[in-house]
Amino acid sequence: MITDMLKKENIQIIDSIPDWREAIRISVQPLVDTGYVEPRYIDGIIANTEELGPYYVLVDDVALIHGRPEQGVLEKQLAVTVVKEPVAFAEDGSHKARLLVTLAATDGEAHIDVMRALAELFMDADKIEQLVNSTDVDTIYQIFSDADTAEAE
Amino acid sequence: MAVSKIMCCCGSGIGSSLMIRLNVEKVLKKMGKTGIEVVHSTTSDAQPGAADIFVVGGDLADFVEKLPHKIVLHNIMSAQELEEKLTAMFAELGE
Repeated sequence: MITDMLKKENIQIIDSIPDWREAIRISVQPLVDTGYVEPRYIDGIIANTEELGPYYVLVDDVALIHGRPEQGVLEKQLAVTVVKEPVAFAEDGSHKARLLVTLAATDGEAHIDVMRALAELFMDADKIEQLVNSTDVDTIYQIFSDADTAEAE
Repeated sequence: MAVSKIMCCCGSGIGSSLMIRLNVEKVLKKMGKTGIEVVHSTTSDAQPGAADIFVVGGDLADFVEKLPHKIVLHNIMSAQELEEKLTAMFAELGE
């Protein structure tokens, strides 16, 4: 269940972020503050991006920001950052996203049900639009909670 | 060649590879294909012989260049693209 892995306090809405490195810092920070990942998870994801490119931009407007479990994950958890101004995750200005979902996973399998629900959500362009246009945390939390129900049907 | 295993890969082995795997399982079901094991892993596990078909996102095309029977997805969340490419791959393999 997404609701087992997402807390309201780890959802944030931000107007704009200057660059992709800052976007990774900001989107991972709530999980550092609440003790789900070590601070080095941020540097790990930035290093991965420098090596591989923005591998976590899954569809237009959506980044599933994550590193490998051994890069500092303590416990599985999600955080959500909606940024009103799109962030370009590639140096050429492409791979833009406004919905940044940060994933901390302890292994390859434990979060499979959550990924199934997220997959349904990410394929729904209307839902993505609703999320990026949300102005309060409760609405965002509700849309993610609803994805659990939708997936179970 | 009988396809018995499909491996979906990404850099971390926990993100897009798992998303792709879930979509592959869904599409196989729709196609009526049974008895195929679908796994997800990191690109370092994508070695010849590790699976019959490999599936990756477009950003990792270079990493699987030398593998036989690979599917490179432009949009990893598109079930339609996946079904078209899987169908073509099965045809190529005489399934």
